[in-house]
Amino acid sequence: MSAQDFTIAAGLAARRRLGATVAMIALAILLMLISLGTGPVRLSPLTVIEALFGGGSDVSQVIVREIRLPRTILAFAIGAILGLSGAALQGLLRNPLASPSLFGAPQSAAFGAVLVIALGVADVRSYALPVAAIIAAFGSVFVLLMIAGRNAGLLILILAGLAISSLAGAATALVMNLASNPFLVLEIAFWLLGSLEDRSFQHVAMALPFIVVGAAILLSQASAFRALTLGEETAQSLGVDVARLRLFVIAGVALGVGGAVAVTGTIGFIGLVAPHLMRPVIGHDPARLLVPSALAGSALLLAADIAVRIIPSTSDIKVGVLTSIIGVPFFLYLIMRERRALGGGVA
Amino acid sequence: MRRLAAFLAAFALYINAALAASPPRIVSMNVCSDQLLLSLADPQQILGLSRFSRDAWQSFAADKARRFPMLSGGAEDVLVARPDIVVASLFDKRATRELLKANGLHLVEFSVPRTLDEVRGQIREMGKIVQHPDRAEAAIARLDAAIARARQAATGKHYRVLPLARRGWVSGSDSLVSSLLAEAGLSNPAGELGVAAGGYASLEAIVQLRPDFILVSEAGDRAGDDGRAFLLHPALEHFYPPARRIVLPDRLTVCGGVMLADALDVLTRELQRVAR
Repeated sequence: MSAQDFTIAAGLAARRRLGATVAMIALAILLMLISLGTGPVRLSPLTVIEALFGGGSDVSQVIVREIRLPRTILAFAIGAILGLSGAALQGLLRNPLASPSLFGAPQSAAFGAVLVIALGVADVRSYALPVAAIIAAFGSVFVLLMIAGRNAGLLILILAGLAISSLAGAATALVMNLASNPFLVLEIAFWLLGSLEDRSFQHVAMALPFIVVGAAILLSQASAFRALTLGEETAQSLGVDVARLRLFVIAGVALGVGGAVAVTGTIGFIGLVAPHLMRPVIGHDPARLLVPSALAGSALLLAADIAVRIIPSTSDIKVGVLTSIIGVPFFLYLIMRERRALGGGVA
Repeated sequence: MRRLAAFLAAFALYINAALAASPPRIVSMNVCSDQLLLSLADPQQILGLSRFSRDAWQSFAADKARRFPMLSGGAEDVLVARPDIVVASLFDKRATRELLKANGLHLVEFSVPRTLDEVRGQIREMGKIVQHPDRAEAAIARLDAAIARARQAATGKHYRVLPLARRGWVSGSDSLVSSLLAEAGLSNPAGELGVAAGGYASLEAIVQLRPDFILVSEAGDRAGDDGRAFLLHPALEHFYPPARRIVLPDRLTVCGGVMLADALDVLTRELQRVAR
């Protein structure tokens, strides 16, 4: 291959990446519009657009601007941070099975949030909730990466993640016994299932600052992820401080996932699936994968949240249930594909 | 045969005399029968009350209940207390009730009342059990007077009042709250939301239905949990600020009894406040 051919091939790949990113942005915007138009009360697209810009009846304005708009914004932002967190963790560990939910981060964050509710110390719409969720998420990811060590095999990661999420689940159940709130059993069910229903701009204000800061931290480490693909030692010789990178990733994931879980409960597997959807199009460069993965996460969560409103059911299906139903078989498929590496870990 | 009959007659007389001499001592196993008992019995008749008797959220007589022993909820301490009569709800644990019956205790089981007529019947029955039927009649008279006052306050207004609880639960037509509204001449539009028998309604559907008022169990703007946060959602507050919310505490409406008179008086007062 001559140098010219190579440049042309690289140019094509760059154009494909750009095309894919633009397509994902368009898809996310389309899904946001559909999300604004979907709900138990039937509103025509024209009414929705009119209401969005402050026209039409009082009722349709409130439905679109106070009920559907915050829900749509949260679905976009939370899907994005979950997809981004998954891509960042997969880049950091150079491991396709890494994701926040397999590390027990959402489960731990839910424990933090539930603890605040059980103790009855703060209003659920105050910053106490995301702060507690972020601290718990930080703790869980930190402990997991401590256990996993520098060159963690798949098996160790999965086992440690399983242990941490089991512990977080048990601790959450134990909180029920501490509670003075007689409704806590139902509340905990909500946190464990995950839902975007009836959120408001108070929730957006609660979660968005943390999600934005978390995303900024993760995106700022893009070039370090790329260097890391050459191996930890090479990366270090290129000037990447791997210990610091780890801490940044943990902080970014904890801020994003903690902020998200504090307002929606645990929504799993978006972080696992999103990077895998984009890898065939974008390629294996973890730095270039970050933004498309975030967009894919947004599209996934928006689509799932639209689906739970469309699927006819007697009571509302929780969006976290739907993402798990799609995500778990995908996870099993990944394990099957990585079977050789896993088997090697045992031997 | 005749001698047996004579003996039985004599025995019955003896029992009656014994009962007349000492009024029956009673244990209650349910928060609703607790309140009926507390409102009608003499203090020395009450041997024990249910686990939730002191819960001010469920019971309007929570303070009064503190003066009496609280039971564990199991059969053991009921057997040890050796009451003449045990009052319970059909909703209490069946196994516990069966065990008490098998051990020879006299159990009176109350159903969950849905209408004010059923409530009157239960007040009368408890009056009979504690042997103070006069107090029961007085309680019923108080209830009837409160109904009359509420009716007068709501006359000709035809308000649609949606009873709305945590997470958007709407009380259906067979609930006590709906009966109270109906007695006062108000209507519950739950049927228009498709939850005539009670159920969850979505925020959007409630906003679109636009009932005149919503009936909630507490005022204030603190959300201790997410279920409560539903009632404070900006979309709901937009159409239902405090001036359009009728506040009726749960402890006045979860059980049937004389506290429903208080509930109706609160409803009357709230109607006068919000209708202004």
